[in-house]
Amino acid sequence: MPLSLLKYGLTKQPKLQRHFPPTPELKNSYDVVIVGGGGHGLAAAYYLAKNWGITNVAVLEKSYLAGGNTARNTTIVRSNYLTPEGVQFYDESVKLFQNLSNELDYNILYSERGHLTLAHTDAAVRTARWRAEVNKHLGVDSELIYPDEIARLCPQLNLGDDVRYPILGALYHPPGALARHDGVAWGYARRAAEYGVEIHTQTEVTGFDIEKGKVVGVKTNRGNIQCGKVLQAVAGMSSEVARMADFKLPIKTIPLQACVSEAVKPFLDPIIVSGSLHVYVSQSSRGELVMGASAEAYPLYSTRSTLEFKEELMMHLLEMFPFVGKLRVLRQWAGMTDMTPDFSPVMGLTPIENYYIDAGWGTWGFKATPVCGKRMAETIATGKIPDLIKPFELERFYRNEQVGERGAASVGH
Amino acid sequence: MSASLNSMRLLQSTGLYLDRSKTISFQFNGQSFQGFQGDTIASALAANNCKLLSRSFKYHRPRGILSMSGQDSNTLVQIGDEPNVRADTRAIEEGMQVQAQNVIGSLEKDYGSLIGLIGRFLPVGFYYKAFYKPKGAWRYWEKLIRRMAGLGKIDPGSEIEYTDKQYRFTDVTVIGGGPAGLSAALEAADNGATVILIEENPILGGSLNYARFKTDRDQVYRIRNELVERVSSHSNIEVLTQAQCGGWFEDNWLSILTPGRLFKLRSKAVVIASGSFEQPAVFRNNDLPGVMLGSAAQRLIRLYGVKPGQSAVVMTANEDGYGVALDLLDAGVAVAALIDMREQISLSDLSQAVVAKKIEVLNGHTIYEALPVAGNRGIRGVKVAAISGEGKVVDETRTIDCDLACISVGYTPAAQLICHFGGRLIYDESISMLKLDGMPKHGDKCKAIAAGSLNTVFDLQQVLADGKNAGGSAVAIAGIGVKPALGQKLLSSAVEQNHPWPIFSHPQGKEFVDFDEDLQIHDIEQAVAEGYEDLNLVKRYSTVVMGPSQGRQSALNNLRIATKAAGNPLQGLSITTQRPPFHPEPIQLLAGRSFQPVRRTAIHHRHIELGAQMMPAGNWLRPAYYGLPEQSENAVEQEALAIRNGVGLIDVSTLGKLEIRGTDAAEFLNRMYTFSYLKQPVDRLRYALMLDETGVIIDDGIAARLSENHFYVSTTSGGSDSVYRSMLHWNAQWRLDVDITNVTSAYAGISIAGPGSRDVLQELNCDVDLSADAFTYSEVRRGQLNGIAACLLRVGFVGELGWEIHVPSSQARYLWDILLETGQKYGCRPVGVEAQRLLRLEKGHIIVGQDTDGLTVPEEAAMSWAIAKKKPFHIGKRSVEILANKKQTRRLVGFTLPKKSVLPQESNLTLKDDHIVGRITSVARSSTLNEIIGLAYVHPEQSDVGTSFDIKLSNGNRLSTKVVALPFYDPNGKRQEI
Amino acid sequence: MKLMTCPLNGERNISEFVYGGEVVDMPNPAACSDQEWSAYLFIEENTKGIVKEWWMHAASSYWFIAERNTETNEIIRTFPSSELYMQRVDFRAAKE
Repeated sequence: MPLSLLKYGLTKQPKLQRHFPPTPELKNSYDVVIVGGGGHGLAAAYYLAKNWGITNVAVLEKSYLAGGNTARNTTIVRSNYLTPEGVQFYDESVKLFQNLSNELDYNILYSERGHLTLAHTDAAVRTARWRAEVNKHLGVDSELIYPDEIARLCPQLNLGDDVRYPILGALYHPPGALARHDGVAWGYARRAAEYGVEIHTQTEVTGFDIEKGKVVGVKTNRGNIQCGKVLQAVAGMSSEVARMADFKLPIKTIPLQACVSEAVKPFLDPIIVSGSLHVYVSQSSRGELVMGASAEAYPLYSTRSTLEFKEELMMHLLEMFPFVGKLRVLRQWAGMTDMTPDFSPVMGLTPIENYYIDAGWGTWGFKATPVCGKRMAETIATGKIPDLIKPFELERFYRNEQVGERGAASVGH
Repeated sequence: MSASLNSMRLLQSTGLYLDRSKTISFQFNGQSFQGFQGDTIASALAANNCKLLSRSFKYHRPRGILSMSGQDSNTLVQIGDEPNVRADTRAIEEGMQVQAQNVIGSLEKDYGSLIGLIGRFLPVGFYYKAFYKPKGAWRYWEKLIRRMAGLGKIDPGSEIEYTDKQYRFTDVTVIGGGPAGLSAALEAADNGATVILIEENPILGGSLNYARFKTDRDQVYRIRNELVERVSSHSNIEVLTQAQCGGWFEDNWLSILTPGRLFKLRSKAVVIASGSFEQPAVFRNNDLPGVMLGSAAQRLIRLYGVKPGQSAVVMTANEDGYGVALDLLDAGVAVAALIDMREQISLSDLSQAVVAKKIEVLNGHTIYEALPVAGNRGIRGVKVAAISGEGKVVDETRTIDCDLACISVGYTPAAQLICHFGGRLIYDESISMLKLDGMPKHGDKCKAIAAGSLNTVFDLQQVLADGKNAGGSAVAIAGIGVKPALGQKLLSSAVEQNHPWPIFSHPQGKEFVDFDEDLQIHDIEQAVAEGYEDLNLVKRYSTVVMGPSQGRQSALNNLRIATKAAGNPLQGLSITTQRPPFHPEPIQLLAGRSFQPVRRTAIHHRHIELGAQMMPAGNWLRPAYYGLPEQSENAVEQEALAIRNGVGLIDVSTLGKLEIRGTDAAEFLNRMYTFSYLKQPVDRLRYALMLDETGVIIDDGIAARLSENHFYVSTTSGGSDSVYRSMLHWNAQWRLDVDITNVTSAYAGISIAGPGSRDVLQELNCDVDLSADAFTYSEVRRGQLNGIAACLLRVGFVGELGWEIHVPSSQARYLWDILLETGQKYGCRPVGVEAQRLLRLEKGHIIVGQDTDGLTVPEEAAMSWAIAKKKPFHIGKRSVEILANKKQTRRLVGFTLPKKSVLPQESNLTLKDDHIVGRITSVARSSTLNEIIGLAYVHPEQSDVGTSFDIKLSNGNRLSTKVVALPFYDPNGKRQEI
Repeated sequence: MKLMTCPLNGERNISEFVYGGEVVDMPNPAACSDQEWSAYLFIEENTKGIVKEWWMHAASSYWFIAERNTETNEIIRTFPSSELYMQRVDFRAAKE
């Protein structure tokens, strides 16, 4: 038994410490106002304080702490992207994740399971090899593997050819992991608060004060504040918040649904993704299957659930795991995602001076939490865009340039 | 176990669900039990005085019946390969093997319960606080902790039981066959609506089947029997029993799950009469077998004829508890005391009846603690104390012996279906109850009405009236007949139902708030104290309400405890969001039969007869090659050589085929494709390259001008639908005079290619002059071929003399047969996709989607030749012009390697100064050319013929090669023009 | 399953329809700036509220326009595209 728990258990009246203080009164002014108290915003706050000594920071969250997409994603972490820009960016994220429990002194339950992207057509095999080759060249552990090796890693998978889309190969990414999504946000929040960052929940931004193209204040439902700089990190609501600051984004808000089964004893270690079948599935530390499919077909600012989502997902899931038919779906939910034309995020400067953007994460936002927080903090603190995130600037769309992740993106969780 | 067989079974007169003429044997943990037809696992075990059903998730505490209605996780068992079965609603079957789950050892002796001893070392959220030091330690702890996870087991050998789905349509759907639902269904049906009534239990009646309502039970039964009889015999009502509504979705789309079928039901109006869940009280050991909800005891008695215990204490905060006491007495259970938490002495008929039976009633008291028998497998008594304040008792306690404690301290509306879809349950302090905050609004096509205790209406007459009102409203919404006059809005009768604070903490804990997750009062308080005071954070940090019952018994008390701990008022607060489904839903029932249709060409069966190995191409199946898989290389080589040296037939039916007709046909193509089509002569072919508005290549094909105003255009196999749709979409905006028809399935295409192909065709009865002078390369003719109307396109995709012959699909197999037969003496053979790909690669033709990707623009793919620069518009024009002014980063080139070289693979990278600049998109060994040939993206600076570049193989080795001119084969295109 | 009313085929499950994006006017490609063109391609209004969208009934390949509330998913109205696109569109080459 770990010492910390022993100590806790042996204390008669263990003194409970708040992990973060209650929402304080708003001050008149902050050096940096972060709009959005999800994983990204909280991570940025933490790195601003820790790496750059900027602590006069307010994180504004319209609902409860990390209650948006941070609370709704399927917690997958990986870096097996297709483009060198994508791979390098997410590789830094994976490395930060690997040490994050110790960095934050908060166990984020990081669980390296290995990640298999199944290929059911020769075109998908080609794409898997392409990703593997790019990954390997950049030092990321990925390999195209074939059914015999897939069987060794995940003997439960149906590798037969009695299905509509037999499995021909897979992109295997050993560092693929799961992490406790809430824990990541709470860990960042806790340490950011220790540095003096203020976290304001139930605080909704209603507008911005912009003077001569420069943001100088933020209006909220709890009053107006002055600010040096603003970071917008509000996945799902990015266009709406940007509209308040009078600029537009290359984003459509599209719901992504997911569901969990009841808990059963562990039987599935790796994270399994199938682009052709539009399924991704892993088994959580609680024993639930956590499952999702591709995003919906049309934009919607709603987290409503549909029956069709479950019907199709389960039909495909049974092709891969025909023996889980009697397991039951316990709960389904949805998040609102920012979909961009090139399946890549939007990070960095905006047309408004001192107003920074962190948006467009599609279905990949959770896995970028540490790196995005760290690099956006650097951007805000130095005013310079780090090379790592330069390819993802908003301006690229005005130049008719896209990041080339489209080739790998059908279901890329 | 010493209990005699069915020792707790009551006399014949009770047990609504039972057919006592049929005895059923089953096994529980290897021991044989008997029950009657209609028994559930839990009721049959209870009849045999077996109370212990499961072990809890975290502390492995013994658990037994709680709700007896399938609404809690105390009764989860494993049946064969089926995990997490609710034993209190699953009917027994002959020979059924029921096992306890999540036990280490046995259900009786579960070593997992030792965790309870160290419970104080495992506070809520403990895993966030430990196990990660020193760095890397988590890896080991994780394995141990994961082993404890999960409840039941999945059997990897289990097989799917495919079930069908059914679509249903009705005017009114009523969910819930209790008093409100029955009454609603009747009202709707009487007013002319067709009604489907959904009931999750085996028979109709709901609470009328077990609850007391009045001193004279027979009166309730009479009401019940009359309602059920009228509903069952009503010609407008269809009853589905053992059917659960999983969700109410957009536009009144309901999922109805029955054991063997998923119904998808569209209803004009929906009445939701799903009732309420009785709520537990929170005190020490409130989770042990023998402590159950009052309604559970009544269900055991009335539905299953089972005596729930020998000696009982009833705790209540409403009149229902008095009914429970009377029912217990009727069933021969001694009632040691009735603990009424209310100060005020009840003077109702029910309470008077209880007093008349000489039962001791203690007002203003509570059970403070249940006293366990050895091993916590039941209770031997309860400690009772007077309530001195909210959650507080006086020091003096009194022990009352009993083996059963029945709890009736309040209800929570079973409003899941409404809350899934935007409804909210908010706390109303005036009735200490969660109450629906109105109905969510979803437009005219999506309307539901709540009825009965969902509206916090509990008096039977009021419930019936509320149901009737709802039925009337449903008819009005459904637009059937005359709108009936609505009765007066009912007043809530819930004042006396819920105790405001049935929660008593104990210095030694074990007062469970959430049975699923083993959470106690201090766990919830701790989450709040650590800063997770928002109810959503309490949930996420502690996992309260996240278990299999999704908070049915814990949401209310958790709300109370967490809110008080945070120092906030309860009034108006909402519980955390509820999400579908209502009950956990079997994956196989949702999945149904796999429906993933495949497209086959008209010649498909000939390919199979010829030994083809089929491969998917979009939704289509195409022959990859003809022959055995182990000889695939040879087969592909021979097929390719057949076309180069003799004749080959390729089924190209999967190509998309569109007909564009009208005075603007040429203008339309001119906009859709990059080339110029206005001046394309009739009877000529032209390459057709399609870009999207960003300038990216999305499709290609051939445009044949059949007459001045008529084009026949092919698309890629995967692109026909999207190209067709895109054309229609554009023309909805442009309004050109064209008619666009997708004839992909109407026509089949056979490509005949090779030096001998003209000879073969000329042996047929063909009214088209096929001679080299009369029918030149890149021309199209229509004519008759052995009496079949055919369109012949002289194309050169594989680089030899050849035609694509398009004929009505119905004629394709005949044509295939006749070509193959006629061609025999010319060495004609069928050729698959793989050889076709090799042949086109020899010619340097790209395949869209293989040699291009989601961002490839024409210049990168060396396709600028296919763009007419002078025309005013094509879809990608503006973007192509913008891109022309930018620096390119890659370019598609040809390369060769010696035949003996290692064969690189498609997607191997190309490098410049160790930086990735591109990849191989196509590569193959060519027997014809006696070398390896391929296409690859390289840096534009490397793209001149003769420039060398590096290929990185999958194993990390590098190969150096040089750019060569394209095409590799027959560079002047002489062979296709002969 | 949500319902949608096709102006041609009547009320159908929404799974029978294909979404075609918001109704956006193309800037004159011969006259607009590079930036205007790129914004047309990539930048979205992404309105939270009532929008006009292209939809197609897949089985009949019929394109029409729907007014839909992107916050509630309520479809307010569907109508033939000819209501908005009444005239033939022609393109002229950019002036030298």
